Amino acid sequence: MIKNDIFIEVAHKQVQKHGNKICGDMFLSRKIKEERRTIVILSDGLGSGIKANVLASMTASMGLNLTTANASIERTAKIIMKTLPKDKHRKISYSTFTILDINSRRETRLIEFGNPMACLIRGETLIWPSRVSIGVDHQLPSSQQIYYAEFTPQKEDRILLLTDGITQSGIGREDMPFGWGQNNAANYIAQWIAGNSSASAVETADQLVEKAKENDENTPQDDISCGVIYFRQPRKMLVCSGPPYRKTNDKVLASRVNQFNGTKVICGGTTAQIVGRELNRSIEVDMESGSNGLPPSSKMEGVHLISEGILTIGRVAEILEKQHINELEKSPAGKIVEALLHHDEIFFLNGTKVNEAHQDPSLPVELEIRRNVIKKITRLLEENHLKKVHTELI
Amino acid sequence: MEKIRVKLCCGTLCYVMGGAELQSLPDRLSENLKTQVAFSSSTCLDYCNKYPTENPPFVDINGEYIAEATPNKVIAKINQLIENK
Repeated sequence: MIKNDIFIEVAHKQVQKHGNKICGDMFLSRKIKEERRTIVILSDGLGSGIKANVLASMTASMGLNLTTANASIERTAKIIMKTLPKDKHRKISYSTFTILDINSRRETRLIEFGNPMACLIRGETLIWPSRVSIGVDHQLPSSQQIYYAEFTPQKEDRILLLTDGITQSGIGREDMPFGWGQNNAANYIAQWIAGNSSASAVETADQLVEKAKENDENTPQDDISCGVIYFRQPRKMLVCSGPPYRKTNDKVLASRVNQFNGTKVICGGTTAQIVGRELNRSIEVDMESGSNGLPPSSKMEGVHLISEGILTIGRVAEILEKQHINELEKSPAGKIVEALLHHDEIFFLNGTKVNEAHQDPSLPVELEIRRNVIKKITRLLEENHLKKVHTELI
Repeated sequence: MEKIRVKLCCGTLCYVMGGAELQSLPDRLSENLKTQVAFSSSTCLDYCNKYPTENPPFVDINGEYIAEATPNKVIAKINQLIENK
């Protein structure tokens, strides 16, 4: 998801209607690495609960797959609309949707059907991309038309996608008899961003959904969903693990750490000592920081975190393997995972020198070869967390 | 009076071979001993490579190493050094 020097962060937050167990909105996104393309879809199934969820899921997966296959907008819209059943009485189709297709030059195609309009937030300004109605069915009322827009977001722009659970939140209240409204919701979040300019897409979506929930006095009257796409400077992180194979490369390792522009983590006591020696910096062990069966972490000027090597990175892989990471453990491995998830582009500098003392077969634990564990972490970060990962052996 | 310097190794090998238990050593000293000992840790003392015939975990006390260190072994050494002062 790195496009030129801009990273596209995609996040969403959803809350289901009060009393329901499942959300009737569906948000899906896909990164097509080879094409450097990002596709996002938000669908709202009519009604709420399981039926709405199934319809929204059908719509979202059809929209995602057809867009990925470069089907034309008309064809995509027609297939979705023909496939979805219409409500017998109300004569309207069951799911609304918004599709965003962003190419490697950030040129964005927006296709909307029935959802509140997507908007672009630039600084404190709201931009509503100019739309054209595309003639799928001219017999339908304007709310049932498909709209199309093209625009190119700039660095630091955010695109906001909403379902009507947000715009209609608070409906019937004295101060918002017709609900919060599209403009009010968008203005609220634009103001909030003005005071929180570095807020991530996750935080932004969370803020808006929580406010909509509050409008409904914390008992949401509809499914509430918000998707945020944030075009920002990529956050870079360097993870060094293992001493270089040749001692002559110790200086190279140290200078890479020194010159890296981003967050730096060293996994391995010997590796840290090499860097400390070459850069003439002292290392201080934080004796209180070890937990969950892992040795303590250490500090060095200019380095975010120093941890023990193979046990800690093994635990990092274990944590990342869990599909849902809710509460991270307070160990050095937990801190590394937290940092990995917070960054977009991760560089592993992997020293290939094998520690002979680790090869003793009588050791009570299996100490895996470092590069295998890093390979596993790389796969997990790329596949499950859409990170851009580079690995270099030294 | 100069304190006795005790340095624990936090390297992988020492940690898995019993060093984890040594991390609690400062809490296990009597109040009297605590005032006479300065604890610190190292990311790796590299004694496992320096003394391949000896077994981890290693602890450094005033520049001398103790192999296969246990809390009791380290406390005994501290007591011995205090007596010999």
